[in-house]
Amino acid sequence: MIIHTIKRFTFIAVIAFLPFYLSAEPTPAAGKTLFANNCASCHAKGMKKAATGPALAGVEERWADYPREDLYSWIRNSQALIKAGHPRAVELWNEYKPTVMNAAQHLTDENIESILLYVDAQVNAAPAEGAGGEAGAGGVAVAKKTPAWLYYALFGVLAILALLLTRVISNLNVIAAKKDGREYESKSLIETLTGKGFVSFIIFAGVIFAGYTTVNKAVSLGRQEGYAPEQPIKFSHATHAGIQKIDCQYCHDGARRSKHSVIPATNTCMNCHSAINVGSKYGTAELTKIFASIGWDPANNKYIDGYEDMSNDKIKDIYTKWIADNYKTENSIDDDTPLPDEAVEIVDDQWNHIVESLTNDQKTSIYGPIEWIRIHNLPDHAYFNHAQHVTVGEIECQQCHGTVEEMEVMAQHSPLSMGWCINCHRQTEVQFADNEYYTSYENYHEALKDGTKEAVTVEDIGGLECAKCHY
Amino acid sequence: MKDNTIWVGEKDLNRDNKYLESVDQEFKSPDILDNGEVLMEKESNRRDFLKFLGFSVGAATVASGCDIPIKRAIPYVVKPDTIVPGVATYYASTYVEGGDYCPILVKCREGRPIKIEGNDLSPMTKGGTSARAQASVLSLYDTNRYRSPQMKSDGAFSNVSWTDLDNTIGTKLGSSKNIRIVTNTVLSPSAKEAIKEFQAKYPQSKVITYDPVSSAAILEANEMSFGDRVIPGYHFDKADVIVSFNADFLGTWISPVEYARQYISNRKVNGVNSKMSRHIQVESHMSMTGSNADNRVLVKPSHLGSAIAYLHGKIAGGGGGNGLSDKVKRGLDKVADNLRAAKGKSLVVSASNNIYEQILINDINNVLGNYGKTITFSDASMQRQGNESEVEALVSQMSGGLVDSVIFMDCNPMYDFHKSVGFGEALAKVKNKIAVAYQPNETTALCDYIAPTHHVLESWGDAQAKRDQITLIQPTISKLFDTRQKELTLLTWAKSDKVAGDEPYLEFVKSVWKNKVFANQTSFSSFNSFWDNALHDGIVKVNGGSNNGGFNVDVSLAKSKVSKPGNSELEMVIYEPVSMGNGQFSTNPWLMEMPDPVARTSWGNYLAVHVSYDGNKKFKGLNGLIDGDLVEVSVGGKTMTVPVVLQFGMEPGTVALALGYGRTAAGKCGTDVGVNLNDSLTANQGLTQYYNTDVTVSGKVGREEHFSSVQYHNTIGVTAENNNGETINADEATLGQTAYGVGIMGYQGSLTERSVIYNSNLKDLGENIEHLKEKRAEAQHLNDQTLYPFEEYTANNYKQGHYWGMHVDLNSCIGCNACTVACMAENNVPVVGKKEVSRHHEMTWLRIDRYYYGDVENPSTVYQPMMCQHCDNAPCENVCPVNATNHSSEGVNQMIYNRCVGTRYCANNCPYKVRRFNWLDYTTADIFPGNQPTLNGEEIPFGADNLTRMVLNPDVTVRARGVIEKCSFCTQRLQEGKLTAKIEGRRLRDTDVRTACQTACPTGAITFGDRNNKNGDLSKKLESPVNYVALEEINVQSSVTYTMKVNNKDESIEA
Repeated sequence: MIIHTIKRFTFIAVIAFLPFYLSAEPTPAAGKTLFANNCASCHAKGMKKAATGPALAGVEERWADYPREDLYSWIRNSQALIKAGHPRAVELWNEYKPTVMNAAQHLTDENIESILLYVDAQVNAAPAEGAGGEAGAGGVAVAKKTPAWLYYALFGVLAILALLLTRVISNLNVIAAKKDGREYESKSLIETLTGKGFVSFIIFAGVIFAGYTTVNKAVSLGRQEGYAPEQPIKFSHATHAGIQKIDCQYCHDGARRSKHSVIPATNTCMNCHSAINVGSKYGTAELTKIFASIGWDPANNKYIDGYEDMSNDKIKDIYTKWIADNYKTENSIDDDTPLPDEAVEIVDDQWNHIVESLTNDQKTSIYGPIEWIRIHNLPDHAYFNHAQHVTVGEIECQQCHGTVEEMEVMAQHSPLSMGWCINCHRQTEVQFADNEYYTSYENYHEALKDGTKEAVTVEDIGGLECAKCHY
Repeated sequence: MKDNTIWVGEKDLNRDNKYLESVDQEFKSPDILDNGEVLMEKESNRRDFLKFLGFSVGAATVASGCDIPIKRAIPYVVKPDTIVPGVATYYASTYVEGGDYCPILVKCREGRPIKIEGNDLSPMTKGGTSARAQASVLSLYDTNRYRSPQMKSDGAFSNVSWTDLDNTIGTKLGSSKNIRIVTNTVLSPSAKEAIKEFQAKYPQSKVITYDPVSSAAILEANEMSFGDRVIPGYHFDKADVIVSFNADFLGTWISPVEYARQYISNRKVNGVNSKMSRHIQVESHMSMTGSNADNRVLVKPSHLGSAIAYLHGKIAGGGGGNGLSDKVKRGLDKVADNLRAAKGKSLVVSASNNIYEQILINDINNVLGNYGKTITFSDASMQRQGNESEVEALVSQMSGGLVDSVIFMDCNPMYDFHKSVGFGEALAKVKNKIAVAYQPNETTALCDYIAPTHHVLESWGDAQAKRDQITLIQPTISKLFDTRQKELTLLTWAKSDKVAGDEPYLEFVKSVWKNKVFANQTSFSSFNSFWDNALHDGIVKVNGGSNNGGFNVDVSLAKSKVSKPGNSELEMVIYEPVSMGNGQFSTNPWLMEMPDPVARTSWGNYLAVHVSYDGNKKFKGLNGLIDGDLVEVSVGGKTMTVPVVLQFGMEPGTVALALGYGRTAAGKCGTDVGVNLNDSLTANQGLTQYYNTDVTVSGKVGREEHFSSVQYHNTIGVTAENNNGETINADEATLGQTAYGVGIMGYQGSLTERSVIYNSNLKDLGENIEHLKEKRAEAQHLNDQTLYPFEEYTANNYKQGHYWGMHVDLNSCIGCNACTVACMAENNVPVVGKKEVSRHHEMTWLRIDRYYYGDVENPSTVYQPMMCQHCDNAPCENVCPVNATNHSSEGVNQMIYNRCVGTRYCANNCPYKVRRFNWLDYTTADIFPGNQPTLNGEEIPFGADNLTRMVLNPDVTVRARGVIEKCSFCTQRLQEGKLTAKIEGRRLRDTDVRTACQTACPTGAITFGDRNNKNGDLSKKLESPVNYVALEEINVQSSVTYTMKVNNKDESIEA
């Protein structure tokens, strides 16, 4: 299991380390980002509690006996130092083996200093701030739209213009009538409004409007662009994909090889959350749901034996105790002191919410899968395959799903309508050059060579044909 | 009769006016409503119009006002490593049902088995399957299954716990003086060990093995001839002359998938220089194997023994053959000539259940020197082990009150054992009647204790169908209900100390394999790697040993003991149908709806009667009967009312009726369908005889209400007849004559000048290839005479990318229907039920058309798998008003269900009649329950309940009512294959895309591939000079190529 976990961590590391930092002056702010990207998966953010890795508070003192470079090389590649027989390294290894600290060769000395500054800052910060205070800066993504007032202003200006023009015309009419020596009969407003022309216009406009609305509404029947239901767990893509920069396909690992992108199983969450017990934004409120669904005991860092058959009351005891204990730790309350009333209320509240999220009429046990609400729904007669688009087409997830890494609440970005699919198939170029599969399209290859064709789109190879998606 | 004429039945040979009218319109019968009114004659008035309008507007408003339902996405808690949702996993396993056997791969999606494929590592089947193996996955989701252990109290069953059942049975068995275990053939070495464990605990127990359809005579004859009680390994591929006495070795006899592969491998024709075996079938009714034979010698069933004796006399001397007609004798003389010319390269088999007749067969093979060549013992078959005389002995013991406990191991003797012995009465005298069963059946109904067993797809196990190979069975799904596999049940009752751990039976199988299989091999040094490898491959080769005993038996004694020929006017063959077995498969709707390959009937057994021809266009059925007439038939004193089907190729004076129907406890699918013939079986020397000489057939007593024969459905090739009774083409009728339909009969029969089937005798092949060339050139010339030359505007359409095509080798097709069932499984084709079939509503995308040619009364047969031909110039596409069917750049005729509005123009315009319309809501995909057919009075249609729906292929849309559907060339497989190639970054190979019918076929008759891939399997097949395109002259540019049917008829044998 541990080796497995380490593999996963290595994977995260590879993904997370992609951005390369060329930094100058060490600052705690830079350290915060670096910590989040490189260290947070194993080291507790509060720095005072050991997680997968040890608590980092006082790290500098512990390494004070050795040259500063030793600490740098430890952080960059701990295994090398252990092999070299560095006494402090060996001591740590004996304590934590076989868990291996991920290598971080890309960190510069300044980077490491920044991280150490951030560690210090965290240690010295007020205790309450550690768990709940530092929310990720993500908000619900709002599509950039022209503001409504602009339309109203434009409408107003046009209306005034129309009024002015009417006045001008009527004045001109009066003048013209005078010139001809006629008496100009001006129509009253009532006469105008009940006149044949105006009524016809209103009816005509009404029919057009009603027709337009009906067709539009009918077309969008069953479509749910922007659909952002409240999920049983307030999972934040902004935190995971945005701040932590976890690769989409780390969790949605079906996307590269299956038609489904796959909602991750709870044990995928546990790859990281066996170390991160308390959420950065919601504290114990949301994360405990994951633990309760799979039977992880965060207090003792182990899976609970016989959890599948455990009664809900017993489960309640375990997790309410965890929530309460965590409250005490955060608020520096002694273990022996009873919980204050407001805390009892918080614990009850959180627990009730957990039960509500994890159970329903059919599923009465708290243990078991988390029933997420499916956002992206295609009709049954439409076949879609993620692997085709992600692996073969090399399309970014964001192209269809939007800037998920900024979404606090997941929302459907695209209409998922057939027109939308077709449009993309018309415009998107096939990865023609690199994939030997496409060599069978000889004519196109020739046309590309002699320049009669600039690019081969999905449409060209039959991407608009019905039975590519409907069968 | 004109040469080269083909026909499907006597009606189109007869050119019966009524029939011609009836088939003139394809969709005529469906318009009759349930209350008998004709839909098109019903008038609708203004009020109705307003009602419809009001309803539509109302429904639309309600529908638009609905909230979008919340859908859930439920992931795993702990995801198994092997499962990726959306990607199929395949596990090697084995399909076993009694002695029925097929090594398989089970396709699972999200942990559900949904499709069976053949395991091509098996040297026996090389990836072939049977219709039964294909359909077995549906039985897993049978709503009729036992869901928990049961005990009977006060005549009614109630559910109990396993502990209670085990305790009660433990006590009962402990106090029993005599225990009998009744079982069908057991192929599993581990199960045999389990039985041994049981017998060690209960030494007073004895195992009785019998087979629902017996081959005991072969076993006993080989015991007497060679001292080896076994069915030898037959090698039809090594035989140049094959003579079969009533053995349906391609359809049902012992190991049909294996035999079919062998048989066809020696009969593939690629050109003039091809060689093929000669197959002569001596039989009384038209069996599937007989229909594939080159020559058929017809004898009455009771004369088969004499025929064997006569042939033996000709080959080995000693005379014999009482009561045979001169014609039969002349035929058998020629058979003997053929055999003598192929010594050591011939094979004679017989399905006779008379030991002495089998000894004669052995001697014939012995004299011909076939042993060691076409018949071997090192790979002897274990697929039949039973002897029903043991059951007869059991019955007398039970009647005498000598048996205290009897355990039925998933067998059903109450139904499938012949009634002459009074099984039911005897069973009543047994104190403890225990059934280990999968489903309720006639026998379990009489038992007191029910121990439900797993489906084979939920079980661990192994199967040794041949001495030299063992296959493994592994579960592909957790048990669905509170069942326990039967071997484990025995071990539990035996209180075996080998039952331990979470997977006790797996451990048991492993321990058996460690001692018996692993110990005898040298490839692997550790058991774990050996086991993993065996589990992956599903099959292990073992040493089969060699036969020690030589042939040694008193042949002249045997000859005196062959069955005496009967002299009654009418005799009946009672045969095992390809679909039903002897009732083991009658709970399976796919098999129930699968038409009989020869008679083309489904949902019941139909009395096949002889058709005689007066030489002048007049055909007459026995007693003047016609298809669908009900008659009273009395067999051995039991009278039954059955519908009649006229059958070519029957021996006059013979009628035939299938086993396996008329079950009284077979769930909603099989109960009370057809009549039970087991009651009419008799035994000779303790062995069941599958014919009866005491038969009378009445005249017509009524008409079958739902005559579900697909014989005349969807026949192709449009011709017409002018006033003088001459056949003309339909287009000539419309152009030249006064008016279509006036004095001219337009008709969609098959007696036609159209190129539906080409056939040839092997010796005339060169000539016929020339003829074919001419016909094709003529057709292509005709096609060029169009205003819009096809080639001109499509020249470059398919020159790059893929250009799918299919090749069907009619010489390899034996008509077994494995492809039909595979297609249903792959493409979610619904089962519609008897009434709907009788209304031409069967939904199969792939049907096997059966045509006759040659002699009128004893014709040759050709099977033609017919599916959408994916015409590049498709008539269906042009007539669709909503463009719901159109063409892809890969040459596939696409059908888009969600665009279809159900005008059915396409089906009308399809020259091959391969489009199917969802007349009713067969799948409950519709929202209005009123549109669902209630076939047998059940609440929802077959397969529409949540359990059965687990078998659906999630990649294929379930079609709603009111849309057309048809073969898609398995688009989902094409897309999957292409995607695999793209992901791997390589060109597509023909092996990436294999259609369901192709993989199911036991003989490799179907080849699918990319015509643009010049090195592919398909391109190679397309080079053969015997290829043709059906209806080529109508310029539809079909994508399916057939081959000319070639037979190797010995024309000196009278038909």
